[in-house]
Amino acid sequence: MASMNKDIQLDAARALVTALENNDDTTAGKQLAILTQSHESQLFKDVGKLTRELHEALNNFNIDSRLVDLAQNDIPNTRDRLNFVITTTEEAAHKTLSHIDKTMPLAQELRETAEKIDESWLRFRKKEMNADEFRQLVKEIEAYLPTVKQHADQVHANLSEMTLAQGFQDLTGQVIRQVISLVEEVEASLVQLVKVAGKHQQNVTTKKEIDPIKAEGPQINAQDNPNVVNNQDDVDDLLSSLGF
Amino acid sequence: MRILIVDDFSTMRRIIKNLLRDLGFNNTLEADDGLTALPILQAGGIDFLVTDWNMPGMQGIDLLKTVRADEKLSTLPVLMVTAETKREQIIEAAQAGVNGYIVKPFTAATLKEKIEKIFERINAQ
Repeated sequence: MASMNKDIQLDAARALVTALENNDDTTAGKQLAILTQSHESQLFKDVGKLTRELHEALNNFNIDSRLVDLAQNDIPNTRDRLNFVITTTEEAAHKTLSHIDKTMPLAQELRETAEKIDESWLRFRKKEMNADEFRQLVKEIEAYLPTVKQHADQVHANLSEMTLAQGFQDLTGQVIRQVISLVEEVEASLVQLVKVAGKHQQNVTTKKEIDPIKAEGPQINAQDNPNVVNNQDDVDDLLSSLGF
Repeated sequence: MRILIVDDFSTMRRIIKNLLRDLGFNNTLEADDGLTALPILQAGGIDFLVTDWNMPGMQGIDLLKTVRADEKLSTLPVLMVTAETKREQIIEAAQAGVNGYIVKPFTAATLKEKIEKIFERINAQ
């Protein structure tokens, strides 16, 4: 195409020189028109190319701005989320261990007292016990039975607390899922950026629509967000303000 | 009393199941999101629904709306147990007809209190 244009231009230029030498104004004008026309069409092509490049640059700017947004907002937010995971798992582990610490001595105490009563009971069965010792054994058994009940209740309560502490798995799981989807988004944006840098490519970045009731999982730094309730009491207050 | 527990995390279903058992509710069923919960609900025989909000497939809020829109299920008591704490969300759930809203992490006492309150209201009607 370019060589064809060049041939046409050369032909026109030669014809122009010849026409000028022969004082042929009509032909000279015609050849001059051919030359400027091909020059103008090149100019239009260049303008077209520039326009296309500008359009692509603006499109690419969309991915760039999402990347900037990711770097400025989502990544620091992710750091907070991951810290939330650490704190929550740490709290849950300590809570569980504390309840184990509280439960172990209860089991130990029950076992030791039972062992002592068992020994005395055996002596009573073998008729090795005098009346005073037997009265003492009766007192011990009477004291032991309510303790068993009390300790069993406490063990049950401690086990319930340990059960509840396992809720961390759900809460941190939701947060980790969010982090995974963010990592995927960063990866996709980077891949797209590399593609765009490699060759001009049309890309479409869709802006995220804001849905006020979209599920977000546990709120990180809830105390800094006035639109978020902090505890069950706040929920109850809000619901009762709605006549609930 | 037959209770359906809906949560995508099996640990949370287990926790709620254990707490309900402590409260004397031994007959529980489980589902991991709204889509698996619906056929169980539609099959009938469920007296109480405890659901999470944030789940893949069908979310708890949509399950609640579907239940309220279903002629056979519309009066089923629904308790939401969720980590979602935005005001708009709580208001949305209330407007959709939720009977109770518990935020995670919660205590056994809160669960007991909310369930008792729900049945008190139902019995008073």
